[in-house]
Amino acid sequence: MNTIQEIQASIVEEFSVFSDWMDKYEYLIELGKSMPLIDEKEKTEEHLIKGCQSRVWLACKPENGRLRFSADSDAIITKGIISLLLKVYDNQTPADILAANEDFIEAIGLKENLSPTRANGLVSMIATIKAYAAAHKGLSVPDGTERQKKDIEPEIVAALRNVYDPEIPVNVYDLGLIYEIQADADGVVFVKMTLTAPNCPIADEVVAQVHEAVADVPGVKEVQVDLVFEPEWTTDRMSEEAKLELGML
Amino acid sequence: MEARTLFPALDREIYGKPLIYFDNAATAQRPFSVLELQQRLCVEANGNIHRAIHKLSADATDAYEAGREAVRRHINAPARENVIFTSGTTASINLVASCFCERYLAAGDRILISEAEHHSNLVSWQIACQRHGAALDVLPVDEAGEISPEELERRLKAAEGRIKLVALAHISNVLGIVNPVREVVETAHRYGVPVLLDGAQGIVHERVDVQALDCDFYAFSGHKVYAPTGIGVLYGKREWLEALPPYMGGGEMIETVTFEKTTYAPLPLKYEAGTQNYVAAACMAPALEVARQLAEDPALQAAQREMRDYLLEELTRIEGLRLFGTPRDPERKIPLFSFVVEGAFASDLAQILDKMGIAVRSGHMCAEPLLHRYGQTSLLRASLAPYNTLAECETFVSALRRAIKMLR
Repeated sequence: MNTIQEIQASIVEEFSVFSDWMDKYEYLIELGKSMPLIDEKEKTEEHLIKGCQSRVWLACKPENGRLRFSADSDAIITKGIISLLLKVYDNQTPADILAANEDFIEAIGLKENLSPTRANGLVSMIATIKAYAAAHKGLSVPDGTERQKKDIEPEIVAALRNVYDPEIPVNVYDLGLIYEIQADADGVVFVKMTLTAPNCPIADEVVAQVHEAVADVPGVKEVQVDLVFEPEWTTDRMSEEAKLELGML
Repeated sequence: MEARTLFPALDREIYGKPLIYFDNAATAQRPFSVLELQQRLCVEANGNIHRAIHKLSADATDAYEAGREAVRRHINAPARENVIFTSGTTASINLVASCFCERYLAAGDRILISEAEHHSNLVSWQIACQRHGAALDVLPVDEAGEISPEELERRLKAAEGRIKLVALAHISNVLGIVNPVREVVETAHRYGVPVLLDGAQGIVHERVDVQALDCDFYAFSGHKVYAPTGIGVLYGKREWLEALPPYMGGGEMIETVTFEKTTYAPLPLKYEAGTQNYVAAACMAPALEVARQLAEDPALQAAQREMRDYLLEELTRIEGLRLFGTPRDPERKIPLFSFVVEGAFASDLAQILDKMGIAVRSGHMCAEPLLHRYGQTSLLRASLAPYNTLAECETFVSALRRAIKMLR
């Protein structure tokens, strides 16, 4: 798996062979034409990012602690740039995505395409990628040395998705209340979480439910839930589905 | 008359190629005379208008009022009281939408607009309607982009007095069709309904005589007729401007003020609260002078028609190109062309043309409902001014063909 920096460097190198804008645009057009970037059925209103010039669709799903993105646009040059952005951000961890920037676009001489005045949807698309990453910050990445963790983490997430703050019709995981999940090889699980407000009257109840839900996951022997209020929870941490559910999109 | 030499911006090179500026419907370039006056006033007469006794203020006030007189003459308004300076067409329309609707719009009433309105002549009314429990009545355009005065009459009749105002573009910024505004005004007045004309494009391409048109309000911007941005005009019939409540409160628009009650300044100052963009307003005089010269030069007018006919013919020849705004009477089309090309998305075309030094507009043109009507989300628009040339049109057509080829 290449890091974001490595992929960006290889794109910059790829572009260094083009001497004029015409070659660059032709390459982008080729990229735009050749890549099936999104499933037709994902091109929904929910995934639509409206620009004045062109429309962009972006869908995201977590997979093994990484985020998988698919996207499309009705403008082919925009689509070409999207495919560059997806090369960089697809299949990376939320933390790496949040830490990265898009300076490589400037390095390959396409900065004007990311200007807000272009209104082509790309700026909003990048913001949405980052929002997805922020919403999934709680995901931790399985790696080869911790087989156990890899096996049970999706189940822990699934279990957390059944826990609700009684006043909000969205589960604690999609609300972005889970900041960290660590599961070691011995089945000891550590969950760092927050609540939507520090003075939440049913705090104990929600923490107890999280504890119980995680403890019920097969293979989990011990659960430790740490309730923190730093960093403070904001609605930015909510998943796209959660925002939709609460009518915030 | 050599129109190009009046406009220094046209000498620019873009990415090493001579600029071809075909986005005139968005904003026009400014002539030397405007730029010079702008600079001179900033240096020699920068004093706040209508307020002080000192010389700078007096000179600025004179220049400002000279701008108003130039506007009055250009549109043949009866008096200076009919000419309100605003920040632009949008502000002018919002003024009427706010003040007219406050006084005359009640729940169940309607404002009639057309399907081809710019968002500024649509959203302003929508907001006013929402505020007063009223609704928009939308006059459709046909496939060619034309409105039907008969349909207008049918709607006015059916509304039985509930339509309180008709707001219509003189010329649509997307379709480039001159609407039959004289007929619309005459029809609306037969039903006692006042008419506001959005003249953002009309002021550029038509000879506007507000008394001959008999419209109740006419709104336009300075920057589309060679003046600076940030200045616009609302023409209103005196009886309306007297009857409507004030818009913004502030300095200049008052007569006497106490904490209990304020009496308002007479027209036009009643609607000019706060420090005005007096430099830009003064620049309306040289700008409209240039507009008049360009419009009265028979050779330039013939050249404009030639460019229009050339582009109409050449664009129609491009395979898969669909043009919007094709009136039955071709003389009602201004040199403004909005279109889509199969297999070549508008913003992609605009981006490639930009690299070739050609400035065109792409997107929804601030007229989303009209684009929906034609099943589109984005168009490409080339809009010409009298300073454009046939040679530029030829370069544009071959560049467009090349860009399409790249994308297909």
